[in-house]
Amino acid sequence: MFRSATFRFAALVFLLQLVSAAALIVTIGIAVRRQLQTDAQRTVAVLRDDLRASYAAGGAAGVRREVALRTGQLVTPGTVLLLVDRDGKRVGGNLDAWPPSVTRDGHAKDVTLYRIGLNTAEPMHVEATRLPGGERLLVGTIVAGEVRAMRMLEQVSGVALPLALIFAALAAWIAARTIVNRLEEPLAALNAVAAGDLGARVPADGSRDALATLGVAINGALERVETLMGELRMATDGLAHDLKSPLTRMRVVLERAAGQVNDPAATESLDRAMAEADRLFALVQTALSITRAEAGIGREHFTAIDLAAELEGIAEMYAPLAEDQGRGLSVTAESIEPVTVHRELLAQALGNIIDNSLKYGAGPIALALTLLEGEVALTIADRGPGIPAARYDDALRRFGRLDDARQGGGAGLGLSLAAAVARLHGGGLVLSDAGPGLIVTITLPLP
Amino acid sequence: MANKVLLIEDDDATAEFVARGLTEEGFVVDRAANGRDGLFHATDGSYDCIVLDRMLPGIDGMGVLAAVRAAGIETPVIVLSALGAADDRIHGLTHGADDYLTKPFAFVELLARIRLLIRRGGATKAVETVLRCGDLEMDLLARRTRRAGKAIDLQPREFRLLEFMLRHVDQVVTRTMLLEGVWDYHFDPGTNVIDVHLSRLRKKVDEGFDRPLLHTVRGAGYRLGLEP
Repeated sequence: MFRSATFRFAALVFLLQLVSAAALIVTIGIAVRRQLQTDAQRTVAVLRDDLRASYAAGGAAGVRREVALRTGQLVTPGTVLLLVDRDGKRVGGNLDAWPPSVTRDGHAKDVTLYRIGLNTAEPMHVEATRLPGGERLLVGTIVAGEVRAMRMLEQVSGVALPLALIFAALAAWIAARTIVNRLEEPLAALNAVAAGDLGARVPADGSRDALATLGVAINGALERVETLMGELRMATDGLAHDLKSPLTRMRVVLERAAGQVNDPAATESLDRAMAEADRLFALVQTALSITRAEAGIGREHFTAIDLAAELEGIAEMYAPLAEDQGRGLSVTAESIEPVTVHRELLAQALGNIIDNSLKYGAGPIALALTLLEGEVALTIADRGPGIPAARYDDALRRFGRLDDARQGGGAGLGLSLAAAVARLHGGGLVLSDAGPGLIVTITLPLP
Repeated sequence: MANKVLLIEDDDATAEFVARGLTEEGFVVDRAANGRDGLFHATDGSYDCIVLDRMLPGIDGMGVLAAVRAAGIETPVIVLSALGAADDRIHGLTHGADDYLTKPFAFVELLARIRLLIRRGGATKAVETVLRCGDLEMDLLARRTRRAGKAIDLQPREFRLLEFMLRHVDQVVTRTMLLEGVWDYHFDPGTNVIDVHLSRLRKKVDEGFDRPLLHTVRGAGYRLGLEP
């Protein structure tokens, strides 16, 4: 995601560099060509106007004289002149014959012709004009230098374009490198926070550019997150305290009352009230445990334990209950290196899942520990009715009850606690179908 | 000579019930409503047990505990806490508390734990290798259990469960205490897990004998002893 974004940015820089270099070369080419053409046209126009003026002053003879003069010793270098009479016969000038490609009068053209006395054809810009007496005059100027200049420009462009390509690639690479390097620290800080280290921040680099400003903004947001987490922790603890003190008093009152009455019916009512108080308490406790686990609280209590032994221990704890229901409880565990976990919470998560199966599942319960690529999978599978795939989300939701009429006494927190515990470890919890039955898989990442 | 308990608790109602309950059970109870008074009383050193609320006005109970221990007072301390996450419990026990109870607690639970601490704080017994209760005896070295000379075959967990009961003969042992002492877990395992284990153990220990040793104490837990 980030990589492709960087790549796109680099590609954009590359393209822009290339386009701007190409645009520069093309623009220079066009401007130079324009300028050269304008110069040639102006030279020709001045020459034409001079000759027409000499016609006006001295008639056909005046023009002949002028043509002879300008193609003789008083040479303007690069002048091309040809004067023909009404029948098209050559009268004077430095061209042999009228070029057949130039027909219309007042029409300018670029042609390549031999001037008299020269043995190379030269590129020239010529214009035909008809004199008042019916004679035709071809006026022109040699543009060899201009053509050379244009060819030179083309050659230079041919060299400049590969150079521009190299510089564009270099600029793109530098831009991408800059972005990646400057984004590395904000990314590292954000990843650390996501992984639970709420104190991580983007180090200030002293520059005052947009990325530094971004770093400051990210730090502000992280600061807020940390503050909120602290407040959440205080709030949950406060809530726990506020709820538990009245509950404690209630329990104490009920206990004392139970000790003072001798009426069996009253005793039974008091026992029931106490059991309800305990259930309410357990519910509050579990809800708080989920909140704390979701908030990443408890990572400081992770210890390295033998997961296989822990799984055996949990199985052993619930085995008599399974046996009383006539159901088996088996453990298949690969022996692996100790894994760093929150033993207490993980045991509670596994206990909740087994407890769920004992209440709502059927058939043998199979616990398994499997070592996968970079993670450990703990699976709890039974052969009961399972859960329809469409209801997996409901099953994992807090207080999510799959069967509103069910007489379980649970509040639907077991699976959501297990999922929260899995997430606290940086892993996850997935439900799947054993056909028939339910498979609950907790994955824990290995360092 | 009655045992003296110091109760450091800011919540009047809870303090009153606990104090009254303990008095009825034969304890002499002093109460302090805040950390400073609590510390002042505790430094008398004349108490057999201190019950300390973790959340006191203006000071964390753990601070009071640290001050008590810093003053060289070795009196056993039970911390009462409404924080109640397993993490807080671990924190409490590693910071000088002898036991840790979360609110809401059953009074019998507190009573059982106070009695346990006071007895433990008494004369240090020589390390026993054989535990007895009536005609039931457990040899810890040979890992053998017999009743009236007849061998009882126990699973490893059952052995530890019975060992725990034998170490607390004639004392009420709550389900929570068993869960902590035998399984080292501090969460509610849901269904009646502990009861099922106990009823299996009872079958092995009491079945076929006239006199039951393992008794259920209604609303509290279990007791191993000769008297019902």
